[in-house]
Amino acid sequence: VCKEETVCVSMCAPVKYNIRGPALIPRMKTKHRLYYITLFSVVLLGLIATGVFQFWPHSIESSSDWAVEKRSVHDVPVVRLPADSPLPERGDLSCRMHTCFDVYRCGFNPKNKIKVYIYSLKKYVDDFGVPVSNTISREYNELLTAISDSDFYTDDINRACLFVPSIDVLNQNTLRIKETAQALAQLARWDRGTNQLLFNMLPGEPPDYNTALDVPRDRALLAGGGFSTWTYRQGYDVSIPVYSSLSAEVDLPERGPGPRRYFLLSSQMALHPEYRSDLEALQAKHEESVLVLEKCTNLSEGVLSTRKRCHKDQVFDYPQVLQEASFCMVLRGARLGQAVLSDVLQAGCVPVIIADSYILPFSEVLDWKRASVVIPEEKMRDMYSVLRSIPQRQIEEMQRQARWFWEAYFQSMKAIAMATLQIINDRIYPYAAISYEEWNDPPAVKWSSVSNPLFLPLIPPQSQGFTAIVLTYDRVESLFRVITEVSKVPSLSKLLVVWNNQNKNPPEDSLWPKIRVPLKVVRTAENKLSNRFFPYDEIETEAVLAIDDDIIMLTADELQFGYEVWREFPDRLVGYPGRLHLWDHEMSKWKYESEWTNEVSMVLTGVAFYHKYFNYLYTYKMPGDIKNWVDAHMNCEDIAMNFLVANVTGKAVIKVTPRKKFKCPECTAIDGLSLDQTHMVERSECINKFASVFGTMPLKVVEHRADPVLYKDDFPEKLKSFPNIGSL
Amino acid sequence: MQSRRRKYLWLIFSASWLLLVLLGAPRLRQLAIPPSLRPRTLTSWPRWLDQELLPNFVEPEELTKDPCPPSCSTRQWQRQRPGCLMETCFDTSRCQSHGFKVFVYPVGLTQPISEIHHKVLASIEGSGYHTANPEEACLFVLPGDALSPQLLPLWNGGQNHLIFHLHPGSWPDLGFDLGQAMLARASPKPETLRLGFDVALPLFPQSYPQRGGSRGQLAHLIPPPGEDLLAFESQLDARVTGSSNHLDQTICQPSPRFCLLQKSGPRALGFSDNILLSCFSFQAGCIPVLLSSGWELPFSEVIDWGTATIMIDERHLLQVMGPALQELPPARILALRQQTQFLWDAYFSSVEKIVHTTLEIIRDRIFRAAARPWLLWNAPPGGLLALPTFSTQPGDFPFYYLQRGSRPSGKFSALIWVGALDQPPLKLIQEVAGSQHCAQVCLFPNWRGFPTPTYSHRGVTLIFLLLQKSDRFFPYSAIGTDAILSLDAHSSLSTSGLLSFVVWQSFPERIVGFQTQSHFWDEIKGSWGYTDQRPNEFSMVLMDAAFYHRYYHVLFTHFLPAPLRDLVDELSECEDILMNFLVAEVTKLPPIKVPQRKHCYNLTPGLPGPPRREQPSRDCISKFASWFGHMPLVHSQLRLDPVLFKDQVSVLRKKYRHLERL
Repeated sequence: VCKEETVCVSMCAPVKYNIRGPALIPRMKTKHRLYYITLFSVVLLGLIATGVFQFWPHSIESSSDWAVEKRSVHDVPVVRLPADSPLPERGDLSCRMHTCFDVYRCGFNPKNKIKVYIYSLKKYVDDFGVPVSNTISREYNELLTAISDSDFYTDDINRACLFVPSIDVLNQNTLRIKETAQALAQLARWDRGTNQLLFNMLPGEPPDYNTALDVPRDRALLAGGGFSTWTYRQGYDVSIPVYSSLSAEVDLPERGPGPRRYFLLSSQMALHPEYRSDLEALQAKHEESVLVLEKCTNLSEGVLSTRKRCHKDQVFDYPQVLQEASFCMVLRGARLGQAVLSDVLQAGCVPVIIADSYILPFSEVLDWKRASVVIPEEKMRDMYSVLRSIPQRQIEEMQRQARWFWEAYFQSMKAIAMATLQIINDRIYPYAAISYEEWNDPPAVKWSSVSNPLFLPLIPPQSQGFTAIVLTYDRVESLFRVITEVSKVPSLSKLLVVWNNQNKNPPEDSLWPKIRVPLKVVRTAENKLSNRFFPYDEIETEAVLAIDDDIIMLTADELQFGYEVWREFPDRLVGYPGRLHLWDHEMSKWKYESEWTNEVSMVLTGVAFYHKYFNYLYTYKMPGDIKNWVDAHMNCEDIAMNFLVANVTGKAVIKVTPRKKFKCPECTAIDGLSLDQTHMVERSECINKFASVFGTMPLKVVEHRADPVLYKDDFPEKLKSFPNIGSL
Repeated sequence: MQSRRRKYLWLIFSASWLLLVLLGAPRLRQLAIPPSLRPRTLTSWPRWLDQELLPNFVEPEELTKDPCPPSCSTRQWQRQRPGCLMETCFDTSRCQSHGFKVFVYPVGLTQPISEIHHKVLASIEGSGYHTANPEEACLFVLPGDALSPQLLPLWNGGQNHLIFHLHPGSWPDLGFDLGQAMLARASPKPETLRLGFDVALPLFPQSYPQRGGSRGQLAHLIPPPGEDLLAFESQLDARVTGSSNHLDQTICQPSPRFCLLQKSGPRALGFSDNILLSCFSFQAGCIPVLLSSGWELPFSEVIDWGTATIMIDERHLLQVMGPALQELPPARILALRQQTQFLWDAYFSSVEKIVHTTLEIIRDRIFRAAARPWLLWNAPPGGLLALPTFSTQPGDFPFYYLQRGSRPSGKFSALIWVGALDQPPLKLIQEVAGSQHCAQVCLFPNWRGFPTPTYSHRGVTLIFLLLQKSDRFFPYSAIGTDAILSLDAHSSLSTSGLLSFVVWQSFPERIVGFQTQSHFWDEIKGSWGYTDQRPNEFSMVLMDAAFYHRYYHVLFTHFLPAPLRDLVDELSECEDILMNFLVAEVTKLPPIKVPQRKHCYNLTPGLPGPPRREQPSRDCISKFASWFGHMPLVHSQLRLDPVLFKDQVSVLRKKYRHLERL
């Protein structure tokens, strides 16, 4: 806005000045004074009017935030619902996203994100002025606030894809069903409930307790807290948890792994007599490990009965006691969804869910197998042996998982609202949906696990061959020798020369060696080391051989064998000279090692085979500033590549064939010991720098290298597939 | 004076004009712009003054009361409800005593059945779950889908029965009351599928291969430049103009990056599904783009289709497809291409795989506590080869170490086959126990005359176990390490054993061994052959000295069918070939060879080496290949040596000096 204004000042003001000013002033005389004063006062009036107009806050366009913020819930507009106002139809059980949901409304939402509109709050009363329901509960207000603060929110009803009524239906017991339905039906964009989303946690009423909200709601989506298989419209409704207020009240720190005092604990107070007797029988049998808690009968005044549980004369703090058990019961009550599930998860106790046909919260995306044990009601008596058969390690993992589910999706109304909207978002833009791992893996697992981008065990066909990429600056003679040597390798399918010298043209076509495969020269815009790892379109094979323009000591057998090795390990760097990183205890940092060691953790990319995909990763996905740093320092591009590949695959390099007296790429400029020392120091610096950027040391150390099966075996050389290995 | 005043006036006048313009212009400009284009602040949900005073949606006391009236006892309201659940319509107690056993009604009971049903039945009979005794069965399978089941002796309202209904979804429903029977149905309508009870199958033609099947043909993990973005564009046009009555094979041309699959009505449902399969098969790495969300995908209960397909709601296809496909990051394309191949190979390439997947899904439902986690179904080698009887923790399997950030334990157990020796092979035991990584030595089979050896090395007492069975690859519970070193009494192990264990830790899913063999196709005899005369390559390692993961014992015993294992027992020859087949089937990779002390190449026949009778082995290999439906073995040309092996450097610098003297 500022910018526009300055532009305007400099452009508009002089224009006015030029047109009006010079024309008026010379002609002004005393008799024109009246005229002049009138004009002046008009201008002044305009000025005042503009000022008022300017500083009067937004009242002309919309009711301002400022004005609303001062409001109380009791001041919201009252809407009177006539008794005969239209009633929506009951929920349509056959509704699915592709039949009842209007995706066209979401078509122009950018970035694959649905936009959610919230109707403004009203108070509904019937003909006699009696309220239809509580205006809004604290939890529903929190939920709507969370939506309003999120990226999903829009206040533009015309651009919204999903509509959330502010009519609070979280608890069916607090509302009048018919009137609430009428209130829904008169919403501005109700449109037979299309794209409307209702949140309900406590459905049903005595004595039958339906498992879904009884309020007629046409086609509206229901985020419900107690669905059974028969009321849940798979892929349409969303199953949500029943929020437990203890989540906010009690701070239970996560409990570490290790054995817990009780094996199985039941903390619910109102259980069906059948279940209670089953549980008591279980406790009688396993006195030490099973604890069945009940309501305390003789609590002193002022103690919250919801925060205490009793067993015989013992009094336990709830929910703290849940942390003392490995497994905690979550039995169905009148409703399938139980708030105790949230408490149990918060305590990091593995829920044992006994509620046939219950659709677990967010089961569309959450993998409850990892965090809970579901037991059919009929099998309740065998429960103990089933639980005992679960190994301790698995129990600990389930506990960690349970806690993570609570933290991510249960702990606040905001978490519940965001998970619900994300699930609906994933359905509308399934191609951009959040993956299973993102929903389910706790952060610790996400950090430690490696998902190899080349995970399919597949040996590429030999016929595909490889593309050799020679990076060169101006050593033409040596380059031509490398080209001639490499062209002798049978599986070579193309040769790409990356001409990194901008000051000099590559030799004329006629001067290049004649070879049997296509040879292509790519000229670069800048002399950068990263040009070697650019994913050129000319690379048509999966395999790439990076080779320096002075590597002439490798035989065709060795290169061909290297390619064969790469085919068996296509997700690794397969190279010839190997290097090692070591931890320097004295200096407390990493050190680069090029001596004759028994181990390798890197290969030099002066000559190495690798998958073309790593070129893409190097160019576009290198962490931090490493790529630019390497280009600026003209060093360590090979170490960076080793780090990158080891980090994404979690695998070690493969060094092939015996060590040779390489005129190694890193030694070209070396002239004596001191330079050598400097070089080693620089390379060590690179390792330390990269390790800090990656936040870890991804390199893996191995003690093996790959040789042909018959290498150095007592076997006639002429019968070996790769006889010419290791000779100089 | 006047001129001066005039000047002042003029100044004030112009100043006010300037101010007017300054203040007024932006405002006027704002008014001139239509409201929809105006930048504006969002009107958000209000912060109520009294929001702290709002009532809770439910009082905590009320929640904990939640009385459960007598009517909430499940059994009562189940009867009133239609539909079936595993809890209500399936009697899992039948499966407790004998485990998951499947009984197939004899074909003679009903009218003749189709070829495809024959294949289904054969697949069940070939699985490890089949039983001929209806008494011990947990699941009963009907031999076809066109019969009156009420005649069946054990029908019992359909409880614990499974019916394969292999016609397209548009076909009429079964001609009889299903009752409580489960339906495994090819491309079902989502509305009729009983969630968590029925199973959605792919639609496959009568000619579908019983086992084996064609393998995925992805050659380029990365789409080569110049590859078409999308196949089936003409079809798309046809769809838009409303004449989509023929979908031909052009979709499956060999190179597009994405294949558009659609469902435009109930008639096309099955058909598209069919194309889904053929695209998987012929279309090397063509990523399916599925239109319409109302499509129950095969095995969607366990397969996460989002990892292998692009799903787009066909209603806003034109709005989003272009950007969705073009903006797909290369990493995702790479993952999708690999996942389609994996899913094809793991679950869809043959009738047998489809049927076995169905059975495994039902097994997982019955034994919930021992069901496969997501990763086992959705990462190679897949749910059929990752058995939850071993563990339900992915981190325990040899192939998921990286994904779970875990690693195999650093010790191994030596399993020594002593055969009919009078004396325990003390020298070998000594050699093995000398390794710091050795945790246990197990001798088998138990021979009564053996003195229980005691052995202590470097203060560590080794556990000796005398195993009762003669079964080499039985999953003995006594084996407490992830790595197993399998040895024969006559094997000789140098410290090279140490290198091989270190190598195995890098490749825990493969067999790491010393002596190798190679398979080959014998043109003259028209069968698979087996030789150690091709020393430049190998595809099997002998199990008389080899490291592998203990999971393969579980797989060997529970995955391979009894007849195959009986055959091996009978011949007492081909055990290690079978093990090599099994591991190669799982990993799709060759085993790993490390250097050994002695090399015996039978360049001239009659030289030493483990004596093998050529003919039985040859029979084995052909039989195994036909059981697997294809040849899983893969050749390798490399051997993993120590880094400084035979290098021109002082032997004192080398860690594995013994190997230098080979």
